[in-house]
Amino acid sequence: MPITRRLVAASLPLAVLVPTVANARPAPDFTAVDADGKTRSLSEFRSKTVVLEWTNEGCPYVKKHYAGNMQGLQQAARADGVVWLTIASSAPGKQGHFPDGAAAKSWMNARGAKPTALLLDPDGKVATAYKAKTTPHMFVIDKAGLVVYEGAIDDKPTNKVEDIAGAKNLVAGALTDVKAGRKVATPFATPYGCSVKYKDA
Amino acid sequence: MFLKRAVLALKALVAATLLAGAAIAGPVVNSGHIESQLVPQEAGIAPGGTIYVALRQKIQQDWHTYWRNPGDAGEPTKITWTLPAGWSAGDMVWPTPVKTRLGPLLDYAYKGEVLIPVPITAPADAQVGTTVSLTADVAYLVCEQVCIPEDAKLTLLLPVVAGAPKPDPQWGVRIADVLAKAPKPAGLKATFKLEGQALKLAVTGSPLKGADMAGAYFFPYSSKVIEHAADQAIERGPEGLTLTLKPGYDFVGGGTAPTELVGVLALDSGAAWEVSATAGELPTTAAGLGAPPVKDKASTGGAPGGLLGALVLAFLGGLILNLMPCVFPVLSMKAASLAGHAHHAGKARAQGLAFLAGVLATFLILAGILLAVRAGGAAVGWGFQLQSPLVIAALALLMLLVALNMSGVFEIGSSIQGVGAGASSRDDLLGAFFTGALAVVVAAPCTAPFMAGALGYALTQPAVVALGVFTALGLGFASPFVAVAFIPAVLQRLPRPGVWMETLKKGLAFPMYGAALWLTWVFAQQAGSIALGQVLGAGVLAAFGAWVYGLAQGRRSAAKAFLAQMVVGLLCLVAALALAISAALAAQPATTTTAAAPSSGPGLVAEPWSPERVAALRAEGRPILVDFTAAWCVTCQVNEKVALSGGKVAEAFKAENAVLLKADWTNRDPVIAKALADFGRVGVPLYVVYPKSGGEPVILPQLLTEGMVIEAIEKAGA
Repeated sequence: MPITRRLVAASLPLAVLVPTVANARPAPDFTAVDADGKTRSLSEFRSKTVVLEWTNEGCPYVKKHYAGNMQGLQQAARADGVVWLTIASSAPGKQGHFPDGAAAKSWMNARGAKPTALLLDPDGKVATAYKAKTTPHMFVIDKAGLVVYEGAIDDKPTNKVEDIAGAKNLVAGALTDVKAGRKVATPFATPYGCSVKYKDA
Repeated sequence: MFLKRAVLALKALVAATLLAGAAIAGPVVNSGHIESQLVPQEAGIAPGGTIYVALRQKIQQDWHTYWRNPGDAGEPTKITWTLPAGWSAGDMVWPTPVKTRLGPLLDYAYKGEVLIPVPITAPADAQVGTTVSLTADVAYLVCEQVCIPEDAKLTLLLPVVAGAPKPDPQWGVRIADVLAKAPKPAGLKATFKLEGQALKLAVTGSPLKGADMAGAYFFPYSSKVIEHAADQAIERGPEGLTLTLKPGYDFVGGGTAPTELVGVLALDSGAAWEVSATAGELPTTAAGLGAPPVKDKASTGGAPGGLLGALVLAFLGGLILNLMPCVFPVLSMKAASLAGHAHHAGKARAQGLAFLAGVLATFLILAGILLAVRAGGAAVGWGFQLQSPLVIAALALLMLLVALNMSGVFEIGSSIQGVGAGASSRDDLLGAFFTGALAVVVAAPCTAPFMAGALGYALTQPAVVALGVFTALGLGFASPFVAVAFIPAVLQRLPRPGVWMETLKKGLAFPMYGAALWLTWVFAQQAGSIALGQVLGAGVLAAFGAWVYGLAQGRRSAAKAFLAQMVVGLLCLVAALALAISAALAAQPATTTTAAAPSSGPGLVAEPWSPERVAALRAEGRPILVDFTAAWCVTCQVNEKVALSGGKVAEAFKAENAVLLKADWTNRDPVIAKALADFGRVGVPLYVVYPKSGGEPVILPQLLTEGMVIEAIEKAGA
């Protein structure tokens, strides 16, 4: 009996930490090497808003958004103090696999991509932890470390650049809600794009 | 004006020519990986009428396009029509897709050739004799490993005709067939219920009554209601079935759960219906009959034809088990004892029944443990008791002691020397009972033909059915001895007891020594050489103990002091057992010893098996033979020696660039157990050949010959 009571008491502060977002799940922590060879982990960005973006440079849907849309989002988010992690989970031999950090950096430079870091996840560990399905597949993690948005980048699931103009960007929407301290209006949208190129089962 | 008329006239002429018999179809557009065109079901359309025009796509081999819900990734094919004023196009009719697995993801796709019909309606004021041009801008994602968005602008010239149009000679039947097979509502009643982490979908209705529900699968229209990649467990019921789905974001994401679940229920048979489920209590008539029987794709013992078939196969399997090398030594022991009772009908009968009881009790106990452990979620199969080094070590010692006993080193109780005389019949019966039990325990490594199918069936069935199958197996196994014991004519033919009995018994001790040796060898495979040394030491100790105990017995019958010797003997036995147990417990499982070692035989090297390796080799387009085996499985060892190690087999493998993979189940391995289960098996041996073409794997019989293997490999490489 005393033990139960103590447990309940101990869990009270935790309950307070959970925000109003009822469905948010804690973001799994991960460690991966970035394009500079530095080991990064999610925990180092605790108490910051973090965006995860799954990428595959060869995928037409990624190309669609790297015509300018993604870079713009990255810049705006980082100007707001948001951490942006682009993750490449293609297995060796698969489309979008970066053999080393230099290859990743030259792609970033060519595209003018400005994430906080580009993480190399060739064994798909991070992708598996997040059940990343497509490229792009986006996640927004709030300061409490909860996934408050996951899914598609916008609400027009096509590979045509012209569709971006009329689409509602769900990541930008989620970031705005997080900044305003609101519940994220659309916390999920089916991700669309190419499949994440996991190693063969 | 004149020009316009001339064009119209020309078009009418073209239409007339086409109507004269030639099929009409739009031009084929090749967008890179796909050839597309528009094809009509009818060779024309009446004013105010509706016909189906299909988007026909020939997809390059190994590539695929997507269904309306693409699954975890991808994008459905889209059609944007440009039609003359007043004309309209309806919804696409999506044929049932196929599941395409990509790593941990699952997509719903089309492969090969697909026809997607769309109803096209002409306005009532369409002019008969004119030809209209239908234009479709088709956009699709086509993927293999990589995805490429492609599009095609397709056109079709369709004549407007009076009266009902005739079917198009080329496409009419094809499109009618696609429409007939396309999933439609069929009055099926569907209900879903979220039960914790499981989303149960129950579907009942007359089309499902008595249907073969193998491969039943629910393709949802929404991409947010289930985890596509999760297995969908099937439970059959008298009126339908229940699928266990893994709920998707809409159910577990925290929002309001959907009020309906719409999609396609498809069976392996090709039947498919559109179902629209509402939330509610699941009907009891949609469950209770277990999973569909796993189809035995092989020609082994044939698929068990339901319960009766399984019972018959189990009985036959049990009968054949008597001829298998594993059981022979134990049966020889029984034979010796039976010969002794041959001319005492009542005793022989009692012994036969005791033996039967021992066999049945042991089968049922083992089956009970197996079912209980499996119900607990562990992946174990038949022969599981031999996967524990502890059991193997104990059995090896037991066999040694039995052999020593038969050699006359010591006696158990006082019964054996008093055959037919004043022997305690209670001890005799107990002996017969335990002989039965022992026979069953060591019989496991010899899965007999007919047994595999029956056991595979049994373990997917409710416990009562499973136990029934095991009972049939036990009856079959025990029946020869019981029959001998009960048929006086046979008993009379056995020679009278005499000195020859003692000789026979001593002779039959040698198969028992062999059994002890074999179990020790299995133990070495499982536990490594250090543990082997300890068990061999335990064997010597046990033999010494048995000898000293025998001495004590001798002294007792000679009325000398015997207690000290007896105690020493028993202590030695206890110490031997303790040593064997400690060896088994401390043993390092020698997992890689057999897997990595080249298999015996010139040139043919077996690689260790893994599902990943199979997938990789299949991707390379190489034929594969997977040998599911275990050191304790005698049938496996025999097959490997006889059929897999010859030079001719190695040559055949080389010629077809085939690979031999070995899945060693000597120790417990859930991955292998799962793979066996996928083929409807619960034990080894199992031989599976994957053809180069990527087609369905073929299961080879459980008793192999060289010719059979060569033929299978050549076929797989073709």
